[in-house]
Amino acid sequence: MEGPLKELAKLEKLTEKSNKGKAPSIENSLDALLQSLREVKERIEMGTASEDTFALLAQTVDARKKEVDEKQKEVYNAIARLGKALDKKFTQSLPSYDPLFASEASRVALERTIALHFLRTGQFATAETFINECGMDISPELRAQFIDLHRILTALKNEDISPALEWSRKNRAFLRSRSSPLEFHLHRSQYIRLLLSSPNPHPALSYANATLRIFYPEHSAEIKRLMTCVIFLPLHKLQKSPYADLAAPSLHSDLQPLFAKEYCASLGMSRQVPLRVVGDIGGGGALARIEKARSVMKERKSEWSQTDELPIEIPLAAENRYHSIFACPVSKEQSTEQNPPMMMTCGHVITKDSLLKLSKANGRVKCPYCPVESSQASALVVYF
Amino acid sequence: MSSGKLNIDGVMLFEQPFARVPYENYRKVFRASQRNIERELGNIQTSSGDLLKRWKTHEGNSEDTVKSLDGMIGRVENLKRKLAELQDTAGRPTLDVTRERLHHLAAIEALQSANGPDFSRWADTRLDRWLVDWALRSGREKTARKLAQEKDIETLVDIELFTDIHRIEDALSRHSCTEALVWCSENKTALRKIKSTLEFELRLQEYIELARARKTQDAIAYSKKHLVSWQDTHLKQILQASMLLAILPSTNCGQYRRLYDTSRWSSLIQAFRLAIYNLNTLPTEPLLNLALYSGLASLKLPSCYDSAKNVDCPVCDPSIRSLANEVPFSHHANSTIVCRLSGKIMDEDNMPMVFPNGNVYSREALEEMAAKNNGKVTCPRSGDTCEFSALKKVFIS
Repeated sequence: MEGPLKELAKLEKLTEKSNKGKAPSIENSLDALLQSLREVKERIEMGTASEDTFALLAQTVDARKKEVDEKQKEVYNAIARLGKALDKKFTQSLPSYDPLFASEASRVALERTIALHFLRTGQFATAETFINECGMDISPELRAQFIDLHRILTALKNEDISPALEWSRKNRAFLRSRSSPLEFHLHRSQYIRLLLSSPNPHPALSYANATLRIFYPEHSAEIKRLMTCVIFLPLHKLQKSPYADLAAPSLHSDLQPLFAKEYCASLGMSRQVPLRVVGDIGGGGALARIEKARSVMKERKSEWSQTDELPIEIPLAAENRYHSIFACPVSKEQSTEQNPPMMMTCGHVITKDSLLKLSKANGRVKCPYCPVESSQASALVVYF
Repeated sequence: MSSGKLNIDGVMLFEQPFARVPYENYRKVFRASQRNIERELGNIQTSSGDLLKRWKTHEGNSEDTVKSLDGMIGRVENLKRKLAELQDTAGRPTLDVTRERLHHLAAIEALQSANGPDFSRWADTRLDRWLVDWALRSGREKTARKLAQEKDIETLVDIELFTDIHRIEDALSRHSCTEALVWCSENKTALRKIKSTLEFELRLQEYIELARARKTQDAIAYSKKHLVSWQDTHLKQILQASMLLAILPSTNCGQYRRLYDTSRWSSLIQAFRLAIYNLNTLPTEPLLNLALYSGLASLKLPSCYDSAKNVDCPVCDPSIRSLANEVPFSHHANSTIVCRLSGKIMDEDNMPMVFPNGNVYSREALEEMAAKNNGKVTCPRSGDTCEFSALKKVFIS
């Protein structure tokens, strides 16, 4: 952005009152003009005006106008240069598409997505305005749940774990089914906080005694560490001990995202804000890649062979890989429920169709990747 | 992107209008100042010439001369005031907005990675900007204003531009071309550059309305004044329009009925919108829609539609999935196997392991489970439990 910023600074200098640039500022020119006019007026009033006075005035007016025009031209050129700098920076215009998401169903879906986005990110005032403006129906229960989420998150931020704990206790069965460490981590945070807040470890230990026991089956190793770390107190020793991780602030600050993730999962929602995720991928290179592919294909005068699939692969970050994709190494096709991946006894996986094609009449298959031959019937359907 | 590196070109593709709109606004301010200067100084030039002439011919008395000098002084003072006002209320603020936006873009250029909190904040603001743009285009103006105000991003969004667009579109839907014609004359050169025929279409519409009202004399005068100048490019339409004078609005003749058809007004709205978007390098679709289209197409998989839904996948969200119906599937030439326990991608260092029932998970996640449970592992999908040693390695090539 250096080029445009430089040109902008030049333009700003020109248009401010200072006398930068070749021509004097318009204000000065106009002041000079005013003065000439007033002088002429005085002369007339004093009766000393002559033909020369008016000839001179006409000349002055012309000269001042020329000055102003020159100044304007300077400004105009500076504007044009800024425009050029912007053109240079932004070489590609955004593509035009036929109206997207224009069907009634899509419109409703998009509005709902946006409303949920506002609620989920805690923008309740904006959400309220939006929901009213669209006349949308979002159940009060759902809204209350988001308000609750933000109440609990705010408490966590203020080092108050009790609302989060209360929710975790109520949803213990759900959390267990996900083998989520949320409740344990809440207690762990509280325990460490107690431990570090006073030289006397007893309040912390009795807290652990009262709360951590039920987590022993799943978190025995961790609980042992929590008990042992007491011998490295106070904080500055703990920080240099093998238990330094327990002294890290992230032990407490990680609770917020963890809680939000579990809370949203209990409502059937994703751990990241979906609109942000999709927008970041689209605005982080995907559109540029799709457009490039489109223009290349246009040059080659070929169309997308499959209109319902992109012609190119958009690279995704590992965190945006939500589903397993199995592309058969033999047929290069993606597996489907009808054509599932199958593992031969050697451990290599190919799709069912490929397996059937490779099978001999006697039902034996020679693995295309290793020397092992196995029976087709012994191949196992695998689920990723 | 997969390495977390920021794709600056891909980010900047969306930002041309962001930088361009305040720039165009400033050009507008400059044109306004130029108009004022031309008018006032031109006038003073004429007056000073007149004074000289009258002195030479001894026509004017000194009283008149003083009066006209006072008039000139008044004009210059007026011009001075107007220019200062324009600079204070429009010029400087517009340049401030331009600078702020360029700095906003410079900030993202300086970032290397798409993972840090700096990028996250920037992307949050970007999404807010997109949402405001979407709301303004979708007639959700209250939401747009509220969001801009709550997030304090009023200088980063173009509420005024869209307010202007709505004002002119409203006028067109009330069958008034006046506002749109004013806009056309303000942007004459730019419209000529993009070869827009919007002004002709608007003029033609005003003419049609005169014909509809059977004010034939007025219509002829109007045509002489405003349509004839387009004869080089639009002769055929002008001739056709002339015929309207002889044809009643109730006609059944196709081409003339089309001219009288009130649906021409909605096409005018479309044409106007296209022209003003074009001048500001705004895309015809909301930025949010373009980002969603490409983002969804990058993510969408057949699995999002079958039993393998993942609650964390945006496309598996019911509302978003119905949007994704409109976009193509993503393309993948290679396998990517994601562990359902840890969400991690499996590879040679974190091999996939299969339960006897066929369910596959990553070695790391299973080892962790076995360590906690005396070497036993449980498949979360089926509830089957077995010894870790009963698992088999899976080879994905």
